[in-house]
Amino acid sequence: MKLSRGGERERGDILLIVAVIILAVLGVVFIYSASNYSASATYGDAFYFVKKQAIGIAIGIAVMIFMCFFDYRKLAKFTIPVSIASFVLLVLVFIPGIGVENYGAKRWVGVGSVTLQPSEISKFALILFAASYFSAHPDRSKTFLGILPVLLFGLATCLLIILEPNMSITVCVATLMMTMLFAAGMRIKHAVLMLIPAIGAGVLLILMEPYRLSRLTAFLNPWSNPKGEGYQLLQSLYALGSGGWFGVGLFNSRQKYAFLPFAESDFILSVIGEEIGFIGLLMFFALIGFIVYRGMRAASRAKDLFGFLLALGITMIFGIQAVINALVVTGSIPPTGLPLPLVSSGNTAIIIFMAEMGVIFNISKNGALTF
Amino acid sequence: MTVLRKRLFAITIAVAFLFLFVFGRLFYVQVIWGEDLQEKAIDQWTREIPVIAARGKITDVNGVVLAGNADTYTVFVRKRAVEDMDKLCAALSETLDMEYDYVYKRLNSTVSSEVTVKKQVTKDKINKLLEYNFSGVYYSRDNSRIYPYNEFLTSVLGFTSTDGKGQSGLELYYDKYLSGIDGEILYETDIVGVEIDGGKATYIPATDGLNLKLTIDYEIQSLCEAAMDEAMEVHKAKSAQMLVIDPNTGAIRAMCCKPSYNLNDIPRDDISLLHALSRNGLVCDIYEPGSTFKVLTAAANIQEYLNGNKAAFSPQHIFSSSRYRYVDGQKVKCWSTHEKGKHAALNLAGALNNSCNPIFVDIAMSLGKETMYKYIEAFNYGSVTGIDFSGEAQGMVLPVSAVQNVDLARIAFGQTIAVTGLQLAAATAAAINGGIYYTPHLVSEIYDGNGIIAEEIQPQSKGRVISEEASTILSSMLESVVRDGSGKQAYIEGYRVAGKTGTAQKYENGIIAAGKYVSSFVGYFPANDPQYLALVVIDEPEGQYYGSTVAAPFAKSVFEGIIDLKNIPLPE
Repeated sequence: MKLSRGGERERGDILLIVAVIILAVLGVVFIYSASNYSASATYGDAFYFVKKQAIGIAIGIAVMIFMCFFDYRKLAKFTIPVSIASFVLLVLVFIPGIGVENYGAKRWVGVGSVTLQPSEISKFALILFAASYFSAHPDRSKTFLGILPVLLFGLATCLLIILEPNMSITVCVATLMMTMLFAAGMRIKHAVLMLIPAIGAGVLLILMEPYRLSRLTAFLNPWSNPKGEGYQLLQSLYALGSGGWFGVGLFNSRQKYAFLPFAESDFILSVIGEEIGFIGLLMFFALIGFIVYRGMRAASRAKDLFGFLLALGITMIFGIQAVINALVVTGSIPPTGLPLPLVSSGNTAIIIFMAEMGVIFNISKNGALTF
Repeated sequence: MTVLRKRLFAITIAVAFLFLFVFGRLFYVQVIWGEDLQEKAIDQWTREIPVIAARGKITDVNGVVLAGNADTYTVFVRKRAVEDMDKLCAALSETLDMEYDYVYKRLNSTVSSEVTVKKQVTKDKINKLLEYNFSGVYYSRDNSRIYPYNEFLTSVLGFTSTDGKGQSGLELYYDKYLSGIDGEILYETDIVGVEIDGGKATYIPATDGLNLKLTIDYEIQSLCEAAMDEAMEVHKAKSAQMLVIDPNTGAIRAMCCKPSYNLNDIPRDDISLLHALSRNGLVCDIYEPGSTFKVLTAAANIQEYLNGNKAAFSPQHIFSSSRYRYVDGQKVKCWSTHEKGKHAALNLAGALNNSCNPIFVDIAMSLGKETMYKYIEAFNYGSVTGIDFSGEAQGMVLPVSAVQNVDLARIAFGQTIAVTGLQLAAATAAAINGGIYYTPHLVSEIYDGNGIIAEEIQPQSKGRVISEEASTILSSMLESVVRDGSGKQAYIEGYRVAGKTGTAQKYENGIIAAGKYVSSFVGYFPANDPQYLALVVIDEPEGQYYGSTVAAPFAKSVFEGIIDLKNIPLPE
């Protein structure tokens, strides 16, 4: 091994942490821009969402720093407790008094004003479980029976999340599961074998809840129902389209004046695109891409299979969510409620993602190409 | 290990591909599609307050304003922007004389985010409201049509709806010129219409409507209005109509239909009454003209005689003195008894003087229906004159193929045919002005607020109907009608008034209605160079009913008024 690399290993990937903090801070700026009007109208405080996010980031940075220095290998020991906690929380969502319902979906658990989105934790639980399992039994990825525990873990998680209902996170978790299996060395024929029931399940899900079908068709022609199913997407497209090449300027979004729902969370990318334009978004995604790149780099240099799978899983869930979010706001896929990681308003998500980035830093610090 | 590296590489490629797809999609939405999307977005970002274009004025030929505008405003409220609803409702109800409960209900129970509170509010009330400095209350200029002379030229001018759209008369016909193009003030607002702090307001000015200068002469119109008011009163008539036209251009100098109403107090609540009163009967209604139509029969005979047609009668020809003519076995008789030498030994001039029906039957029978119809059509009976007015009637003329001899015999003295007053006036003008038919018109000029003329209406000729010589001969005969014959009551010493009376019995359900007549007179002066031609039509006068005694005197009084007003010297 070259010495220069060794030095880098010891320092850890500080650029990743810097990029994560820059992205989170940019997120707060855009949360302010997107929400100040509606927040002062709804809560009488233009900084309502900014304050909430700032608290999340503060906790997130603290947890991230802790994870930076917490040996990732010890995380394997937490696999069972974290997995149990994940499922318990997912079930708690459905228990009256603890589960919190918003916009017709039970996606939160809460005590008083503190609420938590269990599905955010479940994604990490799946990554941790798969990484622990395959690093403990590397050969099991080659057989269908061997991958079955991860498969069941993932499907059970998906089932509980789809019942909330939250189709977009379900899709994310399913994609994440497949990626983990694929990265761990699953045979291609097993992957193909699994795709068939997956497609069948997709069709079944749509048949179960007719609103999914109308959402599916809404994105193809949002003008067919501009005040109903197509409304949100139209407003998102208006925002992005108004941005053009260079945007209307920071804080100058017109769409945030209550035209665009969830402007500070799921559709924050529309406001960003309106304000900084295509060129700005290109740079914004370069930053996201950079984080993905550093995550993959950490995975590729990880010392063991556990670190490899852990870093890859975290990077993938970050990347998958960012891409799906961008596809939603541009009307490329049916609209689903999915936050932009590290940017959208939402405390559970920001804390978990920052903590996970700390894990990647730790992996990069201890990384070596030993496998 | 190589498998894991391959897998990592594959995942990296997949992620890179997804990122590229996102970039491509963003480029498409933001750059290629962007302009189109922004255009649609701008639509929802602004709320607009209309700036109503000032409606064009209508003036008489000398610039006297007959229709103008008062400075009024529409008050409306954007509910979401109101801070103190109770205070606002109280102030609005007090200032605008409206019930508090009504205002409160309007502002709170309507679904629309923008509520029109009241239209046509005067400037001083607006100033009072402005003092409160309410948020969410907006004012925009609207139009209150003002007619300075109240009940004047009513059926010609017509009226507008409360929001300033032309509904009848010239207000309707020239609406696209008068109305102009409304502007607007665009405010940047949020989704429910609350103005954004620091938002821009864009002002798109209104383009005011164009003004109309009529051919109507205010003074002559005044004479007619007074004359027809008197006719209604004296003769207890169902209606009284009069028009004055310049026979050399077709320019209408006065047009008056009674009964009418005050244009500043339109009976909008009673739609059928409003429609009846605002109807311009001279243009839109038809009647059986009776003897005034003999002008056409006489003109046809004179022209055919001059053309050498053997079927036509010489002006010297003495017609049969009998009261009766038999056509296809049917007896047609004169209105006069022909007793004690009345209507004896008459030539054409004498026939006009005495309005002797059988002589005109002789002419029509001799000329035949093809020749008679040639003149009926040349004088434009049976088709619209083309006046610049909506709803013109075309009259009722039997198709030439269906006309029996007995019909033609009656058409010769103005029965079995129906015309509009305007058709009769325009045709008579053509017969005596030297033989040229001019399309009658009401507007002489369309001009903008700076006095720049957008369109000048020139006299429009439909061509020659009879020769100048025939016209001169006819005119001298009609002059003798007024000097020596049935038109004596229109005679003015020295001014060479000419004309023809008409008395027609009215038909109801196909039979003669006893005691119901239309009394009319068409006259002009001076006979050798006609300048003013007037038609008077009195419908269902009580008591006297002859055109000579009922209608002719009003033509005389208007002519005298014109002579006086225009200081017309005695002709040489």
